[in-house]
Amino acid sequence: MTINRALVATFAVAFVLAYAGTATAYHTRFVSDNCNYASPTPTSYITRDGSATVALRARHEGYQWAGGCWNDNDRDDSPNDPTTDAGTGGEGGDCSGFTFKVWREALDTSDASYHQWGMLRYVHGPYTAAAFKAGSGAPNVTASKSSLIKMDALASDGHIGLIYAVNPDGSDQIIEAKGEAYGTNIWTRTYRGTSSYSGVRRTGWSS
Amino acid sequence: MRLFRVTHRARALATVGATAGVVAGFATFSVATGAVGSGTSTPRAVFDVTHSPPLLTVSGEDAELVYDVHCAAPGVEDPEAGCDVAGTAFVRAGNETAFQAVPLLRDRSAGQMIARVPAALSEADAFEYYAELDSDMAESAITLPPGGPTAPTVSRRLGEAVPVVDLGRHPFGNARRAGERVAHASWGDGPANAGLEAGRNLGPIGASAFDVDTAGNVTILDHAHRRLLRWAKGGRSPSQVPVSINGTIADLAVSDDGSLYVLETTSRDGRTPLVRRFDDAGRELEAIESAERGPAQIRIGPDGPLVLQRPSHQWMPVSVGGIPASQAVQRRSARSGRTLRSGAEVVMLRQDRELRVALVARGSIARAWRVTSETPIGEVQLAEPVDGRFVVVLRVYDDRSDEFVILLLDRHGLVSRTTLDSSDWAETAPLGRFRVVGRSLYRLGSTPAGVFVERFDLEVR
Repeated sequence: MTINRALVATFAVAFVLAYAGTATAYHTRFVSDNCNYASPTPTSYITRDGSATVALRARHEGYQWAGGCWNDNDRDDSPNDPTTDAGTGGEGGDCSGFTFKVWREALDTSDASYHQWGMLRYVHGPYTAAAFKAGSGAPNVTASKSSLIKMDALASDGHIGLIYAVNPDGSDQIIEAKGEAYGTNIWTRTYRGTSSYSGVRRTGWSS
Repeated sequence: MRLFRVTHRARALATVGATAGVVAGFATFSVATGAVGSGTSTPRAVFDVTHSPPLLTVSGEDAELVYDVHCAAPGVEDPEAGCDVAGTAFVRAGNETAFQAVPLLRDRSAGQMIARVPAALSEADAFEYYAELDSDMAESAITLPPGGPTAPTVSRRLGEAVPVVDLGRHPFGNARRAGERVAHASWGDGPANAGLEAGRNLGPIGASAFDVDTAGNVTILDHAHRRLLRWAKGGRSPSQVPVSINGTIADLAVSDDGSLYVLETTSRDGRTPLVRRFDDAGRELEAIESAERGPAQIRIGPDGPLVLQRPSHQWMPVSVGGIPASQAVQRRSARSGRTLRSGAEVVMLRQDRELRVALVARGSIARAWRVTSETPIGEVQLAEPVDGRFVVVLRVYDDRSDEFVILLLDRHGLVSRTTLDSSDWAETAPLGRFRVVGRSLYRLGSTPAGVFVERFDLEVR
C-alpha cells in the first residue's frame, strides 16, 4: 500500500511538473515541427492577384503574435495560445507578419524588391502595424484611404488588415490575422472610415 | 537487508512513476493543445470569387458584371501561376422566366472575368442574374449567388425623377450635442462593467453589439464576458444574462417574442459561423449554421432573423416562423435587399462618393434617393423608413477625421441632416452601431471610459 502510494505520488508530481514545465516553455511545437528558415525566392514582379493568393492560403489558419509560419490545412493547429506570449511556437502570422509575407517584402527595410516567402518559412519581418501605418520601409507608402484598392492596407497603431473586396454598403471585406481567438480570415470591417486607421500601400505592383 | 530491498524497490517504482508522469504530462499537454505536427506543407487549391453587384443603376451606365477571380492549382506555391477559369453569367429581365447565357471573358491584366449584359436586358426596369465559374485546375466550381436561378441577384434601375441630395464638402467638427444616455457601462470585469478583449497587437474590442426592444429596454452584447447586459427602460444599472457564445465580435438582434439572436463571425475548422438563439434567461434554444463564409449583420425581418451574407451580399433568413432554416433553404430564400418587418425591402449601393438607396414594395421601387458627397462616404450603418420618411445613417471620412451623418429624407429629398461624432473608440460589429425603434434613433458608442447607448428623437412629425 505504501509502495503504491509512493508510485502514485511520484507519478502525480512528475505529471504536474512535466505539464507545467511544458506549458511554461512553449504551448505547441508547430514552429519547431513544421517551419523552416529557407531563403526567399526573389521574383521580378508581383501582382495584386498573386498577393491575394498568398493571403488566401493563410485563410482559416492560426494567429501567432510575432509569428509568421503557417501551413494550408484550413485549421488552426495551435488554438488558444496565450495571447501575450510571442514565444509559444504556434501557427500563423500576426497582422503585420501576415502583411509582410503577403506583400512579399525584404528583411532589409531599404530593399523594395520582391521576395516570395514560403508558407512554412518562419519569418515576421521588420514592421509593426504602427510602422506600416507610418509608411516605413522602402516598399511602403501612406495613401489616401478613399483611393485604396485590393491588397492595399488599412493600419492603426495596433493592427493592420488588407482590403480584399468592397461591399455594396460601403464597408470592406478585409483579410487579416486578427487575433488568437480569430485566426486569419476574411471579415466585413469598417476600418476605412475609422479615423484611427490610415491607408498604406505597397509600391511596385505590376497589376 | 529487508530495509534495503524495500528502499531499492521503492526507488525503482518511484523512477517508473516519475518517468510515466513526465511522459503522461507531455502527452496530455500535447493532446490538450493539439500540438501534433501536421506537416501539411503542400499548398491546396485556391478558388474564390468576389463580385460587387450593381444593385441600383441609372440610365447611361455600362451594364457590366465584374468578378474578381482568385485561383491557384494545388501543389503550386508560386502565387503568380494562376489557373484557367471558365464562367458564364445567366441573365434575365425581371419579368421573364428564362435566363440568357452570357460568357464571362477573362481580363488577365486585371484578374477579372467580365460579362456585358445585353442592352435589351440592362435597360429593363430590373434584371436578375447569377454566375457559374469553374476551374479544372482548382477542381472546384462556384455559383454566385449560391442560390443560383432560385435566388438570383436583382439589379434595379432608378428612374430619372429620383431626388438627388448633395452633401457637398462635409464640415468636420460641428457634431451636435450628445443624445440622451439610456445605458452606460465602464470597461472592467465587475458585474456592471463591459469587457474588452485581451490580447496583444489588438486595438480595443468590446461590447460588440446592441439592440433595443419596442418598450425601450436596451441590451448590450458584452461578448468578452460572454453575457448580455440589460437595462430596463429608465433603469440605471444593468442585469446580467450569461450566454454561451464564442467570445469574439458578434452581432445581436432581439425579436418581438423576446428571443435573442447572436450572429457569431468566427468558426472552427472551415465551418460557417453560427447564429445562436437564446431565450430571455440566456438558455440556448438552437444554433444555426449560416449559409456563407462571411455573415456581416443580423436583423429581424417579417418572419424571423435575416443575415447579410458575404460574398453574395444577399440577405438570407436563418429561421422562418421559428423553424431553423437549413443552409439550402437560406440560399434559396435569399434577397438582394433587407426585407423589413412590413415586407418592404431596402436596397442600397454605395459607389465612390455616391449612395443610392431604394425602398422596394411588391417588386417595384416605391421610393429612391441618390446621395452625393464631395467628402468620401464610408459604410452605411442604417437605412430604414420611419413614419412616412426615410432615415439613413452613413459615415463620412477623410484621412484625419470621421463622423456619422443622419439624413432624414422624404419623397422630395432632404428633410434634415444631423452630424454625430463617431464615438467608436472600441471596435464593434461593423454594421451594428445604430438602431431605429419607433421615432427614436439609438446609437452604440464608446470612449476609453466605457460603452454607452444614447437616444435621439428623429423629429419625423
